[in-house]
Amino acid sequence: MAEQGEGVPAGSIRVTVKTPKSKEDFVIDENATVKEFKVEIGKRFKAQHEQLVLIFAGKILKDPDSLTHHGIKDGLTVHLVIKTQGRSTEQSTKSEAAEPSGSGQSTSSQQSTTTAEVPSSPSTGTFPLSGFGNLASLGSLGLGSSNFVELQQQMQRQLLANPELLSQIMENPLVQSMMANPEMMRQLLMANPQMQQLMERNPEITHMLNNPELLRQTMELARNPAMLQEMMRNQDRALSNLESIPGGYNALRRMYTDIQEPMLSAAQEQFGGNPFASLLSSNSAPMAGQGDVPVDSNLQPSRTENREPLPNPWAPQGSGSEGRARVPGSSTTATTAGGSTAQVTPSISNPLGVSAGTATGPFGMQPLMQQISENPQLVQNMLGAPYMRTVMQALALNPQLAEQIFLSSPMFEGNSQLREQMRLQLPVFLQQMQNPDVLSAMTNPRAMQALMQIQQGLQTLAQEVPGLMPGLVPGGIPGMPVPTASETPATQSDSSPSGVPNPPAPPTSLGSTDGTATPSVPSSAVQQEFMQQMLQALAGMTATQPTQMPEMRFRMQLNQLQAMGFVNREANIQALIATGGDINAAIERLLNS
Amino acid sequence: MDTFDVQLYIYDLSRGLARQMSLPLLGRRIDGIWHTAIVVYGQEFFFGGNGIESCLPGGTVLGQPDRVINLGNTQVTEDIFIPYLAGLGESQFCGSRYQLLHYNCNTFSNEVAQFLTGNEVPSYITNLPSEVLNTPFGQMLGPMLESVRVSPGGTNPGTHNPN
Repeated sequence: MAEQGEGVPAGSIRVTVKTPKSKEDFVIDENATVKEFKVEIGKRFKAQHEQLVLIFAGKILKDPDSLTHHGIKDGLTVHLVIKTQGRSTEQSTKSEAAEPSGSGQSTSSQQSTTTAEVPSSPSTGTFPLSGFGNLASLGSLGLGSSNFVELQQQMQRQLLANPELLSQIMENPLVQSMMANPEMMRQLLMANPQMQQLMERNPEITHMLNNPELLRQTMELARNPAMLQEMMRNQDRALSNLESIPGGYNALRRMYTDIQEPMLSAAQEQFGGNPFASLLSSNSAPMAGQGDVPVDSNLQPSRTENREPLPNPWAPQGSGSEGRARVPGSSTTATTAGGSTAQVTPSISNPLGVSAGTATGPFGMQPLMQQISENPQLVQNMLGAPYMRTVMQALALNPQLAEQIFLSSPMFEGNSQLREQMRLQLPVFLQQMQNPDVLSAMTNPRAMQALMQIQQGLQTLAQEVPGLMPGLVPGGIPGMPVPTASETPATQSDSSPSGVPNPPAPPTSLGSTDGTATPSVPSSAVQQEFMQQMLQALAGMTATQPTQMPEMRFRMQLNQLQAMGFVNREANIQALIATGGDINAAIERLLNS
Repeated sequence: MDTFDVQLYIYDLSRGLARQMSLPLLGRRIDGIWHTAIVVYGQEFFFGGNGIESCLPGGTVLGQPDRVINLGNTQVTEDIFIPYLAGLGESQFCGSRYQLLHYNCNTFSNEVAQFLTGNEVPSYITNLPSEVLNTPFGQMLGPMLESVRVSPGGTNPGTHNPN
């Protein structure tokens, strides 16, 4: 094929070949095949034609094809890539780079699904209640990102890595009181989408959750680490007994491989070493038909020496443990029946255990507000987290539960009046938390700063003219919690959510900033009443709906409901609150519940 | 043979300001200051002051694209594409050749689009600089704009950036 300078031989076409680095024109017969073309190109570019990759219109031109087959005509451009040795190294670095990112993603997704509802739910449960202080300090550690869900995942990971953290969290009275309520636990667990995923995969878990007795036992177990250890030890003993029976070892082995192993590996792959996986499988194993013999998935832990001293059977709480010791081979039911009395003394000084890894700043209101005002994103994330909403709604629907939780914190222990006020304010507070205006106020740093200024102003006022507003005596109003710099622990954390949403509530925390240990009680009922009214008035200004007693508000609707035959006044009121006074929706709610 | 989808991610660098202010300022309406990137094999490739870079799709500071155009399919596999990019980066598209108005990300996107699919980038994008320069205001700004470099950082600077 002679290539001429100007004229093109008949039947030939001029095609431009473009490489990343250069561009050349070729004249070639229009009926030529790709292979022939490549040979030509190879001569010009000093490469083997096998190294050449020709691309046209997004298609790689294969050797046996003809140029016309691909529509390559005169004047068109074809792209060329010359494969060299360097390609393989580039490819490997690229795949290496792709690997870590891919595996990184998969591990995080693995760890995000948790099998142990027990240890994970305290962390999810405590999060909304742990208050801004802890959260903000966690973030400042550089642990968390701005993404709350990621923070939670990291928290879970940390929890796993550090069993002490877990036990500290368990010991916290708040957590314990929450776990004492199986219904709430169940709701929380079910609301967690990872949990739902898990439930789909492992129907035994669904069984377990639906069986309230079992749930209660599980929670008691979780709540009481000593009891848990005792139970595990019992199972260890039972297992070793079993081993000595002829044929028993084989039975054990079968048990392990058939049942426990898949569960354990499922648990581990999702959770990476779940301390409570044994609990899970041992509770669901009875369904496998091993009625009298507890499936000891603690086969794993039992292989390691149990160095903990057995609890003293003659200690005051020993009545339960004696009972436990006497029933070595019993299933979980029997053991837990006896042992529920043993309680771990709540450690007041331990703020939720989260502080084990975090920088614990002073838990006053000031730094809290500062943190809030500095980092609105944090608050927004926290409030936006899906389960936060669930928790809030659950709490709003069930004021008794909320009452239990909030009021059981040690902060209120010394002050029954504070409790009273808090209790009364609770429904208001809960509603306000759901009020988007309040939420947006909380996320607005300037709003928070304004609040702080108000607080300071009122504080000054109270100091200067104490007689002016008698209600502002340092009697910790639930509106603003007591920011004692010294003692009372981070359960300001749970009162702070109460404090913050009552923004203009007169922050009577004031006097206590003098450093008085406990808030002194408002000296008269009149003051209390006054405070309450003022609070309500102020709360009413911020809330979009009047905060009269719901009974007053919904009097008409209540009457209607009762006329229809819904005699349960409490339920009616709650339904009306939940639906905001809409009768039809309330009726549906009542019928569906 | 396997084919891979090739997309063009189009970002408006002015975040909507061009649409609002172009008419009074330039005398003609410009819908956006377009920055483009090619997305293929699950990655986004673009050309900026630092040369050819890559990241996860939508992973630059510009966030999600304003428009996405499907350029078609390609049979070119990644292990052919990457050396091709490397070659481009060494020759035509090294960072120093970047010029905001005449030889920018859109030039690169156009080149790569043709390599991969044979299709070009829509003309309203590639004609943008000349449109701007044809206005009196644009002519005034012209020399100043020459020195500007746009390089939206990716989260994952390309491993095949020879620079």
